[in-house]
Amino acid sequence: MSTVILRARGVTKILPTAEGELSILSGLDLEINAGESVAVIGPSGSGKTTLLGILAGLDLPTSGEVMLDGAVITSLDEEARARLRGERVGFVFQSFQLLGSLTALENVMLPGELKGDPDPRRDALDLLDRVGLRERTTHYPRQLSGGEQQRVAVARAFASRPRILFADEPTGNLDTATGEHIIELIFELNREFATTLVLVTHDVRLAGRCDRIIELDGGRIVGARAAVGA
Amino acid sequence: MRRLAFVLRLLRRDWRGGELTLLIVAMLTAVGTVTAISLTVDRLGRALLSESSNFLAADRLIASSREIPPDFESAATELGIRTARTLTFPSMVYAGDRNQLVSVKAVSQGYPLRGTLRVSDEPFGPDSPTDALPEPGEIWLDGRVFPALGLAPGDTLVVGEAALRVTRVLAGEPDRGGNFLDFGPRLLMRLEDVPATGMVKPGSRIYHRLLFSGDEGDLSDLAGRLEGSIKPHYRWMSIRESSPSIGDALGRAESCLMLGGLLAVLLAGAAVALGAHRYARRHYEHVAILKTLGATPANIRYGYLGLLAGLGLVAVPLGLLVGGAVHLGIVSALSTFMPVDLPMPGAKPFAVGAMTGFVCLFAFALPPVFALHSISPMRVIRRDLEHLGPSAPVTYGSAAAGSLLLLIWYTGSLVLTLWTLLGVIGVSLLFGAIALLLLHGGHRVGMQAGSRWRLALAGLRRRRNENVAQLLIFGLAIMLLLILLLLRTELIEEWRSQLPEDAPNHFVMNVVPEELDDVRQMLTENTTYGGVLFPMIRGRIIAVNGTEASQWRRERGGGDDGPGISSERNLSFSETLPPNNRIVAGQWWATSGAYVSLEEEFARETGLAVGDSLRFDVAGATFDAEVTSVREVEWDSMAPNFFLLFSPGVLEQYAATWMTSFHLTADKKRFLNTLLSRFPTITVIEVDEIIAQVQRIIGRVTQAIELVLALVMGAGCLVLVASIQASRDQRLAEHALLRALGGSRRLIQGALAAEFAVLGAFAGVVAAVGAELTTWILTTQVFALPGSVHPWVWMVGPVVGLVVVAVCGVLSTRSLVHSPPILVLRELA
Repeated sequence: MSTVILRARGVTKILPTAEGELSILSGLDLEINAGESVAVIGPSGSGKTTLLGILAGLDLPTSGEVMLDGAVITSLDEEARARLRGERVGFVFQSFQLLGSLTALENVMLPGELKGDPDPRRDALDLLDRVGLRERTTHYPRQLSGGEQQRVAVARAFASRPRILFADEPTGNLDTATGEHIIELIFELNREFATTLVLVTHDVRLAGRCDRIIELDGGRIVGARAAVGA
Repeated sequence: MRRLAFVLRLLRRDWRGGELTLLIVAMLTAVGTVTAISLTVDRLGRALLSESSNFLAADRLIASSREIPPDFESAATELGIRTARTLTFPSMVYAGDRNQLVSVKAVSQGYPLRGTLRVSDEPFGPDSPTDALPEPGEIWLDGRVFPALGLAPGDTLVVGEAALRVTRVLAGEPDRGGNFLDFGPRLLMRLEDVPATGMVKPGSRIYHRLLFSGDEGDLSDLAGRLEGSIKPHYRWMSIRESSPSIGDALGRAESCLMLGGLLAVLLAGAAVALGAHRYARRHYEHVAILKTLGATPANIRYGYLGLLAGLGLVAVPLGLLVGGAVHLGIVSALSTFMPVDLPMPGAKPFAVGAMTGFVCLFAFALPPVFALHSISPMRVIRRDLEHLGPSAPVTYGSAAAGSLLLLIWYTGSLVLTLWTLLGVIGVSLLFGAIALLLLHGGHRVGMQAGSRWRLALAGLRRRRNENVAQLLIFGLAIMLLLILLLLRTELIEEWRSQLPEDAPNHFVMNVVPEELDDVRQMLTENTTYGGVLFPMIRGRIIAVNGTEASQWRRERGGGDDGPGISSERNLSFSETLPPNNRIVAGQWWATSGAYVSLEEEFARETGLAVGDSLRFDVAGATFDAEVTSVREVEWDSMAPNFFLLFSPGVLEQYAATWMTSFHLTADKKRFLNTLLSRFPTITVIEVDEIIAQVQRIIGRVTQAIELVLALVMGAGCLVLVASIQASRDQRLAEHALLRALGGSRRLIQGALAAEFAVLGAFAGVVAAVGAELTTWILTTQVFALPGSVHPWVWMVGPVVGLVVVAVCGVLSTRSLVHSPPILVLRELA
């Protein structure tokens, strides 16, 4: 029997704006099982990114509850949420989000260092090898192409051996071929490390490679189906 | 351990990435400038004081008309303080059938403790310094006694009951002048010879001095030990009490130097704050990423706190070294202009430097860096998320508290600190308002201007808040420089006006009426002189409003000691109010009658006022005169001045001698020989050496102030650069985008130059307002000088602002305007 690794109940996000309150997410419920890969799709402004932030514990909902790998993250403080992220969550972002002052190797070592791993360097080297960047370990992000930067980011995401990986438009800044390559890499590593994957994307083809698709519009889930394209 | 490793990694990686460069340069400059200025001010200040101490021939002294008890001297010796004694008294000396009144100074071995004696082999011949003293049985004699007594070196002179041999001509002594018994040409002899002269008897008018020289600390110990036994018969004196005009000059110079250092501290703080804000802004994304990767707020807090501490530990010692090196550079560069032996530096300048570094870090840099812990990790997916940073009260409160702490500790003066800080705060508020107005107006003008200007002015308006802040910083930096420049000018002008180059430096007295025309002619031909000889008649007040003078004095609670109301004084008369005199009460005489005008200080001490009727005794004859005015007299002017000045027609019938003062250049000193040979009975008093010494000290003080001004200007430029750097990223992102969209390099560079020029000119206007205001307050409240308006500041402020800010701005953004826009955009992405 598969276990639920991520559960959201009645998640609502309302932002105050100059024109009054703006509802981004309204009473959203969802469950994701361990090992599952789920795509969140929807048009711009549908609330995908906000949902990802809340599910990953980067942000708090206005109301509702989120449980991640057995911990109710909505009742944790930022200190505890950060620890949880460090230990169980990995991220891949559209704009790579590498630290410009660190080399590729140092960027990948970062999660291990923050966790206090005994030998973050060896693990990081292995992962860079795994994503095909063994030769570029001492390069800084500005010396790498977009695809290479995203590969470093993927290596970094798996460096902490996360239970769940959140990917926010991971191919959004890349050309089609490079994007394909990155997606291959993510799915491959996802299988290898038995990670749960939550993927936010516009790209229907990419979403089709996931086990399940959740469609968002106007802050509500308007459709959920098993993917068929993979 | 994990935290330490995290901090060290942060430090290492930020350093490598060049993120810390601006902050470290700001810290190095802050610590370096303050240390260099403190060292210079400290050493120069002590050197000036010690050079000024030459006027006393000692660092401190005890003076009295009584004999000074030997236990004062032994207390000093116990503390390792060097001592010497002097006795000064007037005496008639004889050579054959001629005689002359001289002022004898008998000195012990060791005199002078400070400064040197100067001697020559013939009267008014070239002189040179000497470490020697007259041998027992010998005397050294002032040049002008030689023609008066027909003496030559080697002759014998009778002093009291002793015959002493004149061996050299005394051309200068460090502690010449200063007290009323000390008129008349000098005779220098050994203390051991005094008993043989039989001149010192009970009741003789003798002035005793015990001189001290040693460490400041030991001297204050001694002052503490003797405090109880000094008063009321002995006076403890330093240069400040003994020569108020030098004391004033030194005091003001110290305040000015201090103020210079204080401004450097403020500028350094501003530079560090700017560096830290830029550092923090560039780390918003950095921290958000670290947080998504599991860094907790506590990690971030301790990490960056540790980073700042580490930065301090590295930058402070380095800054001290830089400061020391800069100071040594200054000293060696100035050694040709300022042949002053600087004393060894104390620990305080280094402590001030180090303290400045840490206070700058924790009061100016900590708030923005510390606030990084509250960055939301959501920024990684939503960059538009605003980071509010530290709250304004925290930022400004901690900066103000830090400044206050530093300034009070640095100056030790609450008044100076508060006025400066109030000036800066008040002016900042005023600036904010003016800056907003100016930028608003700028927009209106901008709509009609060419594209480069339109771009610049649009940029100015778009970032109005940042620009107001930057305008404030530019304005403050320029203002601080203008203040220092204004104060320097004001102080130096004040000193110059007190002692102009051609101020009289000789007095001639005892000119009898028959000699008057000839003396006047000789003076006119050979010297620069005011053209007037004043009559001098000895006389005293015997009654006030019909009451006998000493009785009147007692009724008013006055004592009998010291020169009182009825002491014999020099009286004079004049039809017109002499220059350097100003009426402060009553009126100068317009009608004929028996009137007298009193000097202000004399009127206050005796309690006399306008309307009092005084009876005078002159050579046994009495007459009455009414007090019709009280005058303020500039004694520093070196012109003849009188406590009691009469209207014409009162004193003419009494026997008078005449006096005046004149200016004689050093190369014409031989004229004194001619004058004295022709009129052997007249007295010449030379004050040229004293004036030259005062002018030398003022010259040094001026140089010191100029030096500190240059250092502060350096710090000011750094703040400008730091401030431009801090806003560089945002400006460049916009301009790189414009270039990507097809804007030419010329357009961008022109727009940047125009933007900085407008900011600089506005800042200059703002600075001129602030500088005038603060200077006016400082001159009137702190330095107690009259305030004045300086129209040139209104021209110089905006022009300097425009040029300096535009040049600094264009230079420090040049490299990026020239790099391909894609690189700029990528770096800033």
